[in-house]
Amino acid sequence: MTDISLDELGPVDYLVVEFPAGASNFTGEMAAELRALVDSGTIRVIDILILTKDADGTVEAAELSDFGELGELEAIEAELAELLAAEDVDQLAAAMEPGSTAGVLIWENLWAAPFASAARRSGGQLIANGRIPIQAIIASIEADEALATVGD
Amino acid sequence: MPLRPARVGRVGVIRAPVAKTAVVAAAVTPGRGAPVAKTAVVAAAVTPGRRRRI
Repeated sequence: MTDISLDELGPVDYLVVEFPAGASNFTGEMAAELRALVDSGTIRVIDILILTKDADGTVEAAELSDFGELGELEAIEAELAELLAAEDVDQLAAAMEPGSTAGVLIWENLWAAPFASAARRSGGQLIANGRIPIQAIIASIEADEALATVGD
Repeated sequence: MPLRPARVGRVGVIRAPVAKTAVVAAAVTPGRGAPVAKTAVVAAAVTPGRRRRI
């Protein structure tokens, strides 16, 4: 990671995917999709942690390499940069329900890097970004449709 | 399974406790509380060429 200049670094995002107790169904599908995103150059995986939260709220963190045979994730694991610090664990686990397991994924959006660089070279600076929840889109459209119905 | 030593003692990058987001799967997965129609609604919202009404 140190040989990548900041100007070439794409936006870095994270997500926490929770698997409620008894609800996990690991078929390898997630690993295959993640590997496909990496292989296509869409993203670069920077870090992965596996978190578990006991019924009493105690959180434990594990490295991906602790899980033995990684299959599709073997190549990804070899390139991890270990960006997360131990003190990040409790912050990330704050959203987890007791008794659940969660995967934490940190990635660089390689697809966005050239555009971001071009924006900077053009004098632009990022002042806001974010994600629009699907629920908000649904609510917006439904409100729009309701308004159109009233107008009929 | 402890974390690797390199992670200990470093300054973290997640600056505040992470808040739980709404569970998207519940909104778009067919089911009693989330009809398939919801998926179509979202698809319509992001259809190319759709214009806002202001």
